[in-house]
Amino acid sequence: MVRLSLRVNGEDLDVEAKETALLLDVLREGLGLTGAKRGCETSHCGCCSVLLDGMVVHSCVVLAARCVGKEITTVEGLSQGGELSELQRFFLKYGALQCGYCTPGMLMAATALLQRNPKPTLEEIKAGLDGNLCRCTGYTTIFEAITACSQAIGQ
Amino acid sequence: MERRLIQPKTIEQTLEERERYAGDGMPIAGGQSLLVLLRNKLIAPRVLIDLEGLGELRGVRETGDRISIGAMATIFNLMSLPVIGAAIPVLAEAASKVGSTAIRNLGTVGGNVCHNELGADLPPALLTLNAEAELRSRKRSRRVPLGQFFRDYFETVVEPDEIVCRIEAPRLPQGATGVYLKHAISPEDMAIVGVAVVVVPDGSSERAVSEVRIGLGGVAPVPFRASKAEAALKGAVLDELDEKAIREAGAIAAEEADPATDPHGTAEYRKKMIQVFVRRAILAALEKQGRGSNGKA
Repeated sequence: MVRLSLRVNGEDLDVEAKETALLLDVLREGLGLTGAKRGCETSHCGCCSVLLDGMVVHSCVVLAARCVGKEITTVEGLSQGGELSELQRFFLKYGALQCGYCTPGMLMAATALLQRNPKPTLEEIKAGLDGNLCRCTGYTTIFEAITACSQAIGQ
Repeated sequence: MERRLIQPKTIEQTLEERERYAGDGMPIAGGQSLLVLLRNKLIAPRVLIDLEGLGELRGVRETGDRISIGAMATIFNLMSLPVIGAAIPVLAEAASKVGSTAIRNLGTVGGNVCHNELGADLPPALLTLNAEAELRSRKRSRRVPLGQFFRDYFETVVEPDEIVCRIEAPRLPQGATGVYLKHAISPEDMAIVGVAVVVVPDGSSERAVSEVRIGLGGVAPVPFRASKAEAALKGAVLDELDEKAIREAGAIAAEEADPATDPHGTAEYRKKMIQVFVRRAILAALEKQGRGSNGKA
């Protein structure tokens, strides 16, 4: 076991972990941050998506030890002082979820997309979410929520 | 015993550890495939040697007419660095088709070639660029043309004490164009058939083509150049590079392949798709030179 100092959602946290522990396991089991979901564990479904220095990554294929010194953002870090982020509010408004299991990953991938490209086209939104599956196939409202959010932010 | 992670800070340290754990250690680059293999218990190295700390393996340099890409450059780097887009754009195009956004953010060029998974997108493009891998161990360094780098499914010439440090390719000749086409059920899958084509015009005449390079992935134990198909098109005059010639090249390329049947497609289907995608790729590369094919194909 090793002691890792990770910066998660703006806080410096110490956690015990196996040397080759995955970021997903450390977040969920070590730090109790269960927003990132355990899905396929093989980098296909994207429900474990988090941001690493602002880039979307699948935390099931990231070594936690590699994240030392980097900024990790999970879905828990999107809201500020109990206020949902703009994107989260648009997900609510458009009902952009069904069972909700993919939602944290969708939010993280879309957050990274909008930071990089504040005015994405529908095609760019689809490409930005290419690493995230919704098993309920509820993509339409997800795309609508992101589109509406990007328009609202621009105003 | 619990698996260990070693995080060296220099190439020298990395190579010492690589030698020490040659039997049961593995280098980890982006980890996007390796950690899946570990999770599925397909490999069980006792030690992982992390290449993340080796900043010198990240850079992409242009020296003379050669582009030298650090093995730890990410797939995202390949897509987005202007020097790649300008000098060897077919690699940027292939990179944009690797996996998904999250995988491209962490996956690396070195990891992609060393993993040598069937249907990987970068190798066909790198082959058409006449790329070379620079390998180092503690005792020696050597350069291996990518055409000799891949040995079998998931196997390469990399020895247990070696790491790939850089991938180097000459910039495309003046006027040359390249295209990478990926045929997959879903874009984030491995390619059922991946075709990279580079068409090099013959400077002596507007209508001549000096060389057509064809790299294939997903259709044999290793990615390869379809050299017989290339020979059939060598020195072709554009007027002759019509539907018939291009279709013939596709058919020859299909004969050169040795595809396997797997859940993604039968061997027979892959051979048919080689013909389709080789033809489309050549036409698209000609189109990029503004030469089309006189509307013949």
